[in-house]
Amino acid sequence: MPADALLKVEGIVKRFATADGGITAVDDVSFDVMPGEFVSLIGPSGCGKSTLFNIIGGLVGDYAGRVTVAGTRVTGTHPSIGMVFQEESTFPWRTVLDNVAFPLEIAGLGKIERAERAAHFVKLVGLSGFERRYPSELSGGMRQRVAIARTLASEPRILLMDEPFAALDEQTRLLLGDKVLQIQQELKQTTLLITHNLTEAVQLSDRVLVMTYRPGKIKRIVDVGLPHPRDAEVVSSDAFGHTVAQIWSDLREEASRGIEDDEARVRAGGKP
Amino acid sequence: MSAAAAASATSASRLPAQLCGAASVLAVVAAVELLIRAGAINAFVIPLPSQVIAAIPRIVVEEHIPLRFWQTSKEVLWAALLLATVGIGLGVLLYRVRLLRLATETWVGALAAAPIVLLFPLFLVIFGRSATTIVMIGFCAGLAPVILKTVEGLAGTRPVLIDVGRSLKLTRRQQFWKILLPAALPTVFVGMRLGLVFAMINIVGVEYLINFGGLGQLVNDLAERYDLPGTYGAILFVVLTSIVFFDLTERLERWLRPHR
Amino acid sequence: MAAAAPVIAAAPSRASTARRVLAVRVAIVLAVLAAWQALAMSGLLFRDVVPPLQAIGGALVALLGRADFYANLGVTAMEIGIAVVIGGLAGLAAGIALGANRFLSNAFEALLLYLGPTPKIVFFPVMLMWFGTGAGSKIAMGVVSCFFPVAISAAAGMREIDAVLIRVGRSFRATTWKMVTSIYLPAMRQPVVNGFRLGLGVAIIGTLLAETKLSNKGLGYLVIQAYATFDMPRMYALLIVLFVLSIGVNALIGRLGRGDRRAIA
Repeated sequence: MPADALLKVEGIVKRFATADGGITAVDDVSFDVMPGEFVSLIGPSGCGKSTLFNIIGGLVGDYAGRVTVAGTRVTGTHPSIGMVFQEESTFPWRTVLDNVAFPLEIAGLGKIERAERAAHFVKLVGLSGFERRYPSELSGGMRQRVAIARTLASEPRILLMDEPFAALDEQTRLLLGDKVLQIQQELKQTTLLITHNLTEAVQLSDRVLVMTYRPGKIKRIVDVGLPHPRDAEVVSSDAFGHTVAQIWSDLREEASRGIEDDEARVRAGGKP
Repeated sequence: MSAAAAASATSASRLPAQLCGAASVLAVVAAVELLIRAGAINAFVIPLPSQVIAAIPRIVVEEHIPLRFWQTSKEVLWAALLLATVGIGLGVLLYRVRLLRLATETWVGALAAAPIVLLFPLFLVIFGRSATTIVMIGFCAGLAPVILKTVEGLAGTRPVLIDVGRSLKLTRRQQFWKILLPAALPTVFVGMRLGLVFAMINIVGVEYLINFGGLGQLVNDLAERYDLPGTYGAILFVVLTSIVFFDLTERLERWLRPHR
Repeated sequence: MAAAAPVIAAAPSRASTARRVLAVRVAIVLAVLAAWQALAMSGLLFRDVVPPLQAIGGALVALLGRADFYANLGVTAMEIGIAVVIGGLAGLAAGIALGANRFLSNAFEALLLYLGPTPKIVFFPVMLMWFGTGAGSKIAMGVVSCFFPVAISAAAGMREIDAVLIRVGRSFRATTWKMVTSIYLPAMRQPVVNGFRLGLGVAIIGTLLAETKLSNKGLGYLVIQAYATFDMPRMYALLIVLFVLSIGVNALIGRLGRGDRRAIA
């Protein structure tokens, strides 16, 4: 019997009212994510992927279609859906340990248990020794690791990440991506990653969903099918390059449409 | 160059200028001393600086400076208490009730620019010539910045932090105490500091004007006794006290924000 | 969430919010006035501490109808005006000098920052000795008060001027005067206006407080006189006028400052 999908996204349509009529950000998007899978959603800027992130996470309502997690319909935020945001989201007034312990605090765990569990996740993301530091003392990459640890500490059934590495430099991205993949494999954490970075998507995921430019639809679903661990050898293999090229040809078309659209709008006297 | 080394390098390079500044002030004081002794400046208008300095130990003892200092401090502490409770409280209220905020925020801004201390004759009538009048003026003078900065701090919470709270399904209460308030605290402290500085200035000023209280009253007293060196000495005390107060509140603000 | 029409509900329109804000403001004002009148009529407080609204209104009319009010207003306005001119120009000069020269700034700017937040009124006995009991000492108080905010704002403003503009001036070998008038001041318009706004505010306070302490002319004197004769309605009327004028002038300068900026842009 086929395993049931952990995350079911069915027929999502989201429109925004604007000054000149309205725009459809997302148009009939449907896909499934299996338990333990790492799925990436990739698309050009303006394809509605952040909107999808907010919809699946329950931060935004007022859309057509439905989102189901483990059989339960999503009608708002829920602790079983863990969200890692693109922007800086660590609490500057709490230490690393207190940041990671935050969801445990909300859940009402006792002080000692909180500290123990949080320390476990701090160690998982490789920040042992930094428990007593404040986020302002850490680098951007380290702060994102704290944010990830914090979300993992709430032990969500599904981990949603919205371009968490966007603000980081390339090397940090690669290293952090590696780390996240390691953790995901270890925890068998079901993960949906929103990204615009091609190599990252192929490197980390089991499947890649390619989105069109606005109105966003799923253009193609690509099975990455590369072996784990995704070490340097795998990343430099032919199969990897082939998959990347395949996705790029789809993406390039959409990205061009995005650029043309921007230019047309600026020419018409609006803002891009 | 490490950050610490760079910082000490710049402060080291500032030292000659700072010494120069201090030296110029001393030079002016010395010049005044000489001019008075030479008869170029009337000693009944400006007393000899040496006399002023000599007067200081005298007034500390005879005029009970420590006691007066404590009197003024008590007034400031009361004002601080009122500012923290009423000021921050009103700030939170304005943040919570958007319509109220839209309606009254400009009014509070106007209040910040208004000459509140001029109400002192009115407060004299209502509260009498007492410490209450002084505390109330201090409180009213410092209120506007506390309210404004509290609202600013709460409203300025980065949306992503609120989203983190929402994603963990925090209740409104939890959201306020665990996210909004801590995020706003640095700005709230800035407001409290501004409020306290305004309060202190007005408190000492009103002490002088109504001839009641601690340090401000001392200036008035000595002036009415025509004790020139004493008056200048007392004014010096007031200036030193406000400098120390200003500096202390700055340090307190920085200490309370270890994560910045 | 609804599986219905996927469009965002319209946010409340600007106009309806503006109307509700107005309603709240009117409600607050009316509530305060009503509470005031109730307190005045209740007899709870000593007789004229909270006079009934009609008494205050009457006093206002009486005040604004008499020539002596305008004479005193003129005296105060003149004192403040002169104080702002002298204190403001001195502050501007000091601020520009400090802002332009790093050495001077390191030497003396701390003095400004620390002496700024002090209760200037305690210097009044000294001013009395130096300038006598007439307008001179009041103007002096205003000058001392006004000097600091202007100087501090000007110094900060100087440092924020784009270094390029200064180099352009120097490359044309502009004289100091030309540099000040053609480059420094225009580039610093916003901070200087803000500084003057603050300076005017504290000059008003300093001058009026001096008048309340020792004077036989001016609005401050009128306030203390009303206090001494326990003419509370008149005191309230005077305070209302003072506050309306101060807030009004402050708002006016604020608007002028903004208008200037739009003109540059």
